[in-house]
Amino acid sequence: MNSTVASEYSSEIHTTPIEHRFNPYSDNGGTVLGIAGKDFAVLAGDTRQVEGYSINSRYEQKIFNVGDDIVMTANGFAADGSALIDRFRNQLKWYKFDHNNKKLSVASSARYIRHLLYSKRFFPYYVSTLIAGLDDEGKGCVYSFDPVGSYEREQCRAGGAAASLIMPFLDNQVNFKNQYQPGSDGTEKKPLRYLELDEVLELVKDAFSSATERHIQVGDGLEIFIVTKEGVRTEYYPLKRD
Amino acid sequence: MAGLSFDNFQRNKFLVSKGFGQPMATSTGTTIVGCKFNGGVIIAADTRATAGSIVADKNCEKLHRLSPKIWCAGAGTAADTEMVTQLIASNLELHSLSQRRQPRVITALTLLKQHLFKYQGHLGAYLIVAGNDPTGAHLMSVQAHGSTDIGEYQSLGSGSLAAMAVLETGWKPNMTKEEAMKLCADAIESGIWNDLGSGSNVDLCVMEVGKDAELHRNYLTPNVRSEKLKSYKFDRGTTAVLRSSIHDVLDVEETVITFGNDAMEVDA
Amino acid sequence: MVTVRSESNLKNATMNHDPFAWGRPDDNVYGKYNQSIAQAKNNELDAFPKMHTQQPIITGTSVLGIKYKNGIIMAADNIGSYGSLLRFSNIERIIKVGSETVVGVSGDISDFQQLERILEELVISEENYDNQGENNLRAPHVHEYLTRVLYNRRNKMNPLWNSIIVGGFDNDKTPFLKYIDLLGVTYGSSTLATGFGSYLAIPLLRKLIPDDKDYSNIEEEDAKKVIQECMRVLFYRDARSGEKFTLVTVNDEGVKFEKDVEVTGQSWEFAKNLVGYGSKQL
Repeated sequence: MNSTVASEYSSEIHTTPIEHRFNPYSDNGGTVLGIAGKDFAVLAGDTRQVEGYSINSRYEQKIFNVGDDIVMTANGFAADGSALIDRFRNQLKWYKFDHNNKKLSVASSARYIRHLLYSKRFFPYYVSTLIAGLDDEGKGCVYSFDPVGSYEREQCRAGGAAASLIMPFLDNQVNFKNQYQPGSDGTEKKPLRYLELDEVLELVKDAFSSATERHIQVGDGLEIFIVTKEGVRTEYYPLKRD
Repeated sequence: MAGLSFDNFQRNKFLVSKGFGQPMATSTGTTIVGCKFNGGVIIAADTRATAGSIVADKNCEKLHRLSPKIWCAGAGTAADTEMVTQLIASNLELHSLSQRRQPRVITALTLLKQHLFKYQGHLGAYLIVAGNDPTGAHLMSVQAHGSTDIGEYQSLGSGSLAAMAVLETGWKPNMTKEEAMKLCADAIESGIWNDLGSGSNVDLCVMEVGKDAELHRNYLTPNVRSEKLKSYKFDRGTTAVLRSSIHDVLDVEETVITFGNDAMEVDA
Repeated sequence: MVTVRSESNLKNATMNHDPFAWGRPDDNVYGKYNQSIAQAKNNELDAFPKMHTQQPIITGTSVLGIKYKNGIIMAADNIGSYGSLLRFSNIERIIKVGSETVVGVSGDISDFQQLERILEELVISEENYDNQGENNLRAPHVHEYLTRVLYNRRNKMNPLWNSIIVGGFDNDKTPFLKYIDLLGVTYGSSTLATGFGSYLAIPLLRKLIPDDKDYSNIEEEDAKKVIQECMRVLFYRDARSGEKFTLVTVNDEGVKFEKDVEVTGQSWEFAKNLVGYGSKQL
């Protein structure tokens, strides 16, 4: 038949209509967030994996350095998340092999990931995907994707279970939404500025400790990936375990 | 007429058909336990209330008083455990007044099960009932459909399996009060750490024969929130004041009236 | 067969829009297609029996796994249930794969036996390709392979109805313990359990090892003691569990199977004063 180990389903007739009640998805909780700075970007996520009311693991890595100083996460249904990341990492390897080790830009990565997602338009990867890195000018960048490949570059984005808790906080604290210049009587918006790395890290830690307080699927640990021109480094902080 | 009103039943079905979801009741996730010891009984609960996957209350009370020496721990729909518990507490008091006897745990259990059975499980109350009465210390539980159970140790709620694992390994006959308190607290903690529906603190109530029941509110607090790293105080004026007007809504007047030398007795 | 189309905007359509005959000439325009021409009818397909909702038939309950300082320990009982019928009591659900890896399977037993065959084929092909013994087939490889098998089957909407724990050693010789299920979801931890074990055993296992990294302080006998405790609680409280189980130890001395281990230390003392379900009844 074939030279690799014969898997029994190669000989299946798969065009037969089969009636199923099998649900191919589950929700593994967790939350992620990305923030872009002037010359850095961070991708952070909690390390808890859940199913129903149970904790599968208190530490399961879900943010990865996929190569070329690009960090990636796909939060939601864990099996789809790792499948998507594995596929991208694999394709990135082939790209470099085929193109004399050329560096893949974050923008091109984002466009490729859209195609990976849209290729399963009618059986989607059930994940919110984020990638972060530095753009061609060395500025921090974050790209966020919906499950079927709609994407956009943003200054910050939260994804996953507690996204609805964290995103308004980020709008207010990173993009200064709903903040006006004191004394201007609401006529002048608070001017935008790039946040420093230590400010961003404080925001990230406060966002996650707060999400842990109010969302049952968030907790155990916080892993932060930081991309600078020096490369990628990670930090870990414990979160509450209840 | 006493009882529940089904006036809005049709309206709610109509709303659901139009795509408006049923309002969600808080808390199905909970860990509650009870355990007997030599000379009394203990019940304990966690303090997390949830609405779906959101924590609605981080320090709620799930230990309810049915009578001074009979307490119960409630899991299930928060409103149901609260209301059913208050109703039975009232009926228990009236019953004990008319009979001129101390209320008994079996009476509380029977009132609860008959009430819950009548509602065929639509009242989502899952209770562990415990206390002492002239016949001794008792530990019982009742489920939403009206079935009851007795045992030396019990657990209920989404964390009941996590708690039961600890009870099954830690329980022994004729425990002291301190041993039983530790066992109950450990069982609740097992729910707090391993069940997402349970969390925050441990509440505990000890009912010793011949003594008043003691409620240990927040007996353990293993989940104190760490300090936030940043201050989120906004400068005054960050939120625009679009319009302001000040109204005097009432005038406060104070008059001092002096009586004779001996002051009048105002309150008992 | 129902043809799905709207009369108004497909008035001039010459193509069949039925999803099962999409792109075929439209019967309304060209007349009924003669199926007998060129054997256009797929006889094999029509003859294929219709399959119904898949569900596990004969099932095995929890598998437990724990890391300790020298390796891992795994346990699973020997019951094969047919719904609530105790159908078989001699099912061996932990298998050795290669020389230093064990795989414990719960869920559907026929799917488990299929997996057993797939893994056997894997082992044989690995022996053929790599007979130097340097790059042995180790636990992470077996885990990755099983993940792919199960995830591909879920993508075909035809899952292998199992939850699996793989135990052994990582490439750096540290203990390895990871989980996979019918959806392709995976995770690792120092303490793992499938099925009812995830509710009843995990809390006890995590009491011994609260932090994943702390397994390196755990002695073999302490790990075995807590596994015995878990199997006892499962026997008390999981109606599909059995009193005899297989205990497997993987450490630097190799893989050791202990069969027909009994649940010990049972106590039914609580029952002696219990009468009825409320007021005392006779």
